Amino acid sequence: MSELRELPTGAIYDRGYRHYDGPREGRSRRIKAIVVAGVRRVLGLKRNWKTKVVPFALVVGAFGPVLAFIGVRLLVGESVGQFLGYPAYFRIVSVVLLLFAATAAPELLCPDRRQHVLALVFTRPVTRGDYLAAKLAALIVVIGLVALLPLVILFAGNALTAPSAANYLRHHLGDLGRILFAGGVLTVFYAVVSLAVASLAERRSLATAGMLGTFLASSALANAMFFTSPSTVPGRRWLTFVSLGGLPARFVEWVFGQPFESGSLASQAGFTGPAYLIALAALTLLAGSVLAWRIARLQP
Amino acid sequence: MPVAEAERLSKRYGSVLALRGVDVTVQSGCTGLVGSNGAGKSTLIKLLLGLLKPDAGQARVLGHDVAVDPLAIRQAVGYLPEGQCLPADVTAADFVAFMAQLGGLPPRQARERASEICYQVGLEEERYRAVGGFSTGMQQRVKLATALVHDPQLLLLDEPTDGMDPQGREDMLDLIKRIRAELGVDVLVSTHLLGDVERVCDHVIMVHAGQVLLQASIVEAAGTASPGFGVQLGDNGGEVRAALVAAGLEVKPAGEELHVHGRDDAADLVRDVAADRGWALRRLVPRAPSLEETFLRLQAAAAAEEAPPPPQAPTPEPARRAS
Repeated sequence: MSELRELPTGAIYDRGYRHYDGPREGRSRRIKAIVVAGVRRVLGLKRNWKTKVVPFALVVGAFGPVLAFIGVRLLVGESVGQFLGYPAYFRIVSVVLLLFAATAAPELLCPDRRQHVLALVFTRPVTRGDYLAAKLAALIVVIGLVALLPLVILFAGNALTAPSAANYLRHHLGDLGRILFAGGVLTVFYAVVSLAVASLAERRSLATAGMLGTFLASSALANAMFFTSPSTVPGRRWLTFVSLGGLPARFVEWVFGQPFESGSLASQAGFTGPAYLIALAALTLLAGSVLAWRIARLQP
Repeated sequence: MPVAEAERLSKRYGSVLALRGVDVTVQSGCTGLVGSNGAGKSTLIKLLLGLLKPDAGQARVLGHDVAVDPLAIRQAVGYLPEGQCLPADVTAADFVAFMAQLGGLPPRQARERASEICYQVGLEEERYRAVGGFSTGMQQRVKLATALVHDPQLLLLDEPTDGMDPQGREDMLDLIKRIRAELGVDVLVSTHLLGDVERVCDHVIMVHAGQVLLQASIVEAAGTASPGFGVQLGDNGGEVRAALVAAGLEVKPAGEELHVHGRDDAADLVRDVAADRGWALRRLVPRAPSLEETFLRLQAAAAAEEAPPPPQAPTPEPARRAS
C-alpha cells in the first residue's frame, strides 16, 4: 500500500485585535502631529484638488515674479537691468501674505470647531496650550514660507547673477538681515492676527471676509477720516495706526530706510518707523490675547 | 480594583442640575451606563475624562485622580463621543493615524496601526475615502477605530449605536463584544437602549435625572439568578408547572410561554420532563434577563419621589357679604 502523500499545509491567520507594544513618544510628538496636519490642511495636501487651488495660486503669486526674473537674468545676462528692490518686492508679498493669512487661518481653526473634531482631539493628552501652539506654528511655517523665501531667493539670485557674488554679499549682507527681520515680524503679525480673527468665527468664509474686511476697511476709514477732518482736530495723526493694512507697509519702508510717500497719511502723521513696529507688536499682543481667550473657552 | 469611581459628583449647567452628587463604581469588564436622554450619561463620561470640571465631588479613573492628572487618564482611555465629530474631507486612514499620533505613536507605527485597526472594525478599502461620504454606521466605525488605535486600557463609548440601522447596530455590538473578548479592554458603554446593554455588558449602571438608580451585575439587575428560557410544553397548565418545579426549576408564566430559570442546566431539565411525561415541547428559547422591567420600575419610583406633592385644594375664602 502506497504511503499517503503529505499535502503542503498552510494557514491564514486572522490576527484579530492586538495590543500595541511599540514605542510611544511624548508631548512633542502630539504637537508635531497637529503642526504637520495643519500645514497639510492649509496647502490642501492629501485632499481634493479644489482645496489646492487657492494656496498654490498664492504661492505662485509670491514666487513667480522672482523666479521669472532670475531665470531671464540667467539666460540673457545683466542687460536685463535692475529688478524690483527688496522693499518693492515686499509690497507684492504683503498682498499675498494678507490673502494667504485670511484663507489659511480659518482653514486651520474653523473646521475643527464646526465639525466638532475637538471632541476627539481634546480627549487625547492634548492641552489647549498645545493645540494653540501647534496651530500657530503651522501657520507660521506656511506664512513664513511666503514672507521670507521669495525675498531670500531674490537676494541669492542677485548675488549669483552679479559680476562678483562675493562683492555683492559684502556690500548687501545688511539687506539679508533686513529681509529676515521684516519677513519674520510680518509672519508673526499676520499669523497671530489672522488666527485671532478665525477664532471668532465658526465659518471659514466669515473668518476670511472678516480678516480682509477689517484690513481694507480700516485703511479706507483711517484715510477718509484723516483727510476730511480739519488739521486742528487733536489726536488726528494717531489715525495712522488705525490703518491696519498700512502698518506692515510703513514698517517695511522703515526697515529698508525708505521715506514714507509724500502727502500720504503716514508722512503727515509724523511718526517715525519704530512707532509702526511698536504698533505691530501691540496689535499682535492684543490679537494673541483674544486668541488665547477663545481657545481656552473651546468646549470639546 | 474598580476601573473608575466617582464620589458625590455634581455638575450643573446654568439652572439645570445634570448630576446630583452621584457615587459610581465602574467594575472591570463591560459596563452599561443606561438612562433616558438627558439623564446625565454624557456628562458623567466627560467628567471621568476630565473634559468638564465638576461643581462638587471627585473621581478617579484607572487609579488617576481626574482633577490632578487628566492627561494621564486620556492617554489610557479611548473615547467614542456622541454625534458628529469627524473631519469631512480627510480619509479615514489619515484621520485614525493622526489620532494615533496624538496618542503618542510615531508616524510610521501610527499609519500601520491605523490601517490594522480600520480593517479590524470593518473599514477595508473604504478607509482610503473621505469620511464625509460615509454612512452613519461607517462613521461610528471610524470613531471606534480612533478610540482604539492608541491601545487604551479603558474604552468609553457614548451611544455607539446611535442613529444606526438594525444591522449596523448588531454589527457594532458584535464589534464591542469582540474587542472585549480579544483585547480584554474594560468598556463603559453609555446608551438609552437596554437591549444593547443586555447584549454586551456584564454590569449596568442605571441613571435618571442626574441620579444613580442602580449599579449591579446584569443578572442582579434583572432580578434573576441566571438567564432563563421561554417554554411551551404541553398545555403549559398547572400540571406542567408542577412538574417543572419538581425538577428544580423556578417557573413564572409570561404571556403564551412559561419563563423557567434557576438552574444552569434548565434546558436539559425541561427536555427531560418533556420526554418523561410525553408532553410536546413546542418552544424552548433562551430569554435574556429583562432589564427593562427593573429600569422602568426604578425610574417610576424616582419620578414619584421627585414629583411635588399634589396641590391641595385652596381653602375657600369666606364669601364676602354684600354690604
